[in-house]
Amino acid sequence: MSNNAKLPPGFRFYPTDEELIVHFLQRKAALLPCHPDVIPDLDLYPYDPWDLDGKAMVEGNKWYFYSRRTQTRITGNGFWMPLGGDECIYSSSSGQKVGSKRCYVFYVGEPPEGAKTNWFLQEYRLPDSGTSAGSSSSRSSKKRHSKMDYSKWVVCRVYERNCSDNEDDGTELSCLDEVFLSLDDLDEISLPN
Amino acid sequence: MNISVNGQSQVPPGFRFHPTEEELLHYYLRKKVASKKIDLDVIRDVDLNKLEPWDIQEKCRIGSTPQNDWYFFSHKDKKYPTGTRTNRATAAGFWKATGRDKVIYSNSKRIGMRKTLVFYKGRAPHGQKSDWIMHEYRLDENNNNNTLVSSLEEEDPNMSSGEDGWVVCRVFKKKNYHKAVESCSQISSNLSHGHPTAAAVISAAGGGSSNSSDGFLDRILGYMGRSSSSSSLLSCNNNNNRQEMMNIQQVLPPFMHLPRLLENPWPTPTSTTTATAAMINDSSSGLSPEDGGCFAAACDEDQLVRSPATNEFPKLEAAGGGGGSGLTDWVALDRLVASQLNAAAHDGGTTTNVREDLFSFPLLHHDHQNQENHNNNNLRSNNTVSCRSNVSNHHQASSSSDQVYMMVNGEDFWSFAGSPSSSSSDPLCHLSA
Repeated sequence: MSNNAKLPPGFRFYPTDEELIVHFLQRKAALLPCHPDVIPDLDLYPYDPWDLDGKAMVEGNKWYFYSRRTQTRITGNGFWMPLGGDECIYSSSSGQKVGSKRCYVFYVGEPPEGAKTNWFLQEYRLPDSGTSAGSSSSRSSKKRHSKMDYSKWVVCRVYERNCSDNEDDGTELSCLDEVFLSLDDLDEISLPN
Repeated sequence: MNISVNGQSQVPPGFRFHPTEEELLHYYLRKKVASKKIDLDVIRDVDLNKLEPWDIQEKCRIGSTPQNDWYFFSHKDKKYPTGTRTNRATAAGFWKATGRDKVIYSNSKRIGMRKTLVFYKGRAPHGQKSDWIMHEYRLDENNNNNTLVSSLEEEDPNMSSGEDGWVVCRVFKKKNYHKAVESCSQISSNLSHGHPTAAAVISAAGGGSSNSSDGFLDRILGYMGRSSSSSSLLSCNNNNNRQEMMNIQQVLPPFMHLPRLLENPWPTPTSTTTATAAMINDSSSGLSPEDGGCFAAACDEDQLVRSPATNEFPKLEAAGGGGGSGLTDWVALDRLVASQLNAAAHDGGTTTNVREDLFSFPLLHHDHQNQENHNNNNLRSNNTVSCRSNVSNHHQASSSSDQVYMMVNGEDFWSFAGSPSSSSSDPLCHLSA
């Protein structure tokens, strides 16, 4: 990823839900510059998820981009089907609601038919106008009468869920480690190493 | 982009220090060992003996973003007076190694090892295990292809030694998934209370080729998990609470790969053995014939079928249907394996002697050559499972390994090397009865 070339090795784009909304979506909606400006705007993109490479920002096996709120997300070869309801995202400092997250799963084919895939999309949105919270409200209200309603921005994260997700990247204990850990309890002569 | 780290630093929003193991070793530790300047002071030096795990997060903060793991360099120079082992004791407790060391590769070339340690509060042998886990990464001793290190070795030959010198560590708190813990602790309590057979089987399987053994073990655990999850399923059904079951499935993704978890939690005797056989076949495919043979010997389908304990299987099913506790199948499994081994033990006269010999040994630090001999005896005297690495590898591995021994009813004696194999691609498992 060229955008984080200035970061030393090991730094990766792993934003929390809150960060995506507060640092990226609120600033975008408030027309404030994003530093670093790493997430591209794909508008109402017609791309299939596997075509996002090179267009959206990629980190690991996840792609990030800005888009707009829309009722139907239809792409070249399929569509995104909502999965479950909205999940509220709260500020970790104030506890206030800063936005919400909605999940989609990608179907290949024409709605309402189609074949389900392993591609998932998480769409982060700001609270609806009127209830819009936080620092963005004053800014966005200023823009409310302009042509574009910036509260319609969303930020999306797309990823493919597959078996390799549970590969050992060293950040957690493997099942094997857990077993050895529990076997340690049997070792009555527990000398420190 | 403004970043300075470990000071008043500002990591750009959304970015986290989440290095791969390769980056930790190949970039950070290599530079550290070579005393080369690292662009940013991301990873600090700490004195492990003076730092309690709960203080690490403050000391090793990177920027202001929330962190789940913390990194530091540590210099291994303190030893216990009585031996060669590194002293990792702090004021409040000590770090104790667990499991086997894992080989770290870079471009399919071996570059170093990872040791897993757990923090115990208090003093050995009465330490109280905590949720603090440390992964300690060290570079290989002779990195001949590593120009950075080898040039440095000419200046100071001790610099890149594996036992002394710099290591890079990652500390994190073990996650306690509320459901997974229940299920996992069921497994572990089964393991620790009267079901060492299963534990030994696992361990034996874990001794296989390391590239495939983790996945292989996950499958075994998954299979065991199916037993415990299945009993959960029964209670779930009783409570008309399938959601609970779904939760279990979500937090335990490996278990999802197993067939017939929901549809038929208690397969018929035939399908159980078939499933076992399928598991063996699947897993053996990734192993050398020798390794595959090791596990096949432990759980050979034919032996299972011929075993008198096969009669236990209908009981399993009945227990499942009747909503019995998950313990029943463990008892059955225990008996099954025990009957196999007892039968084997009666075949070979020397086995008993071997067992007594082992029994009278000091439990730790006994002569590894003797153990080799015992295993050879075992190989000759009966067809009990015994997989060996070649002797040289074994010795290399054993020099720093923690041997774990278990006694069953004062009779059966299981031993297996449960840890640091410096070359875990070699099969290293001992299962003697």
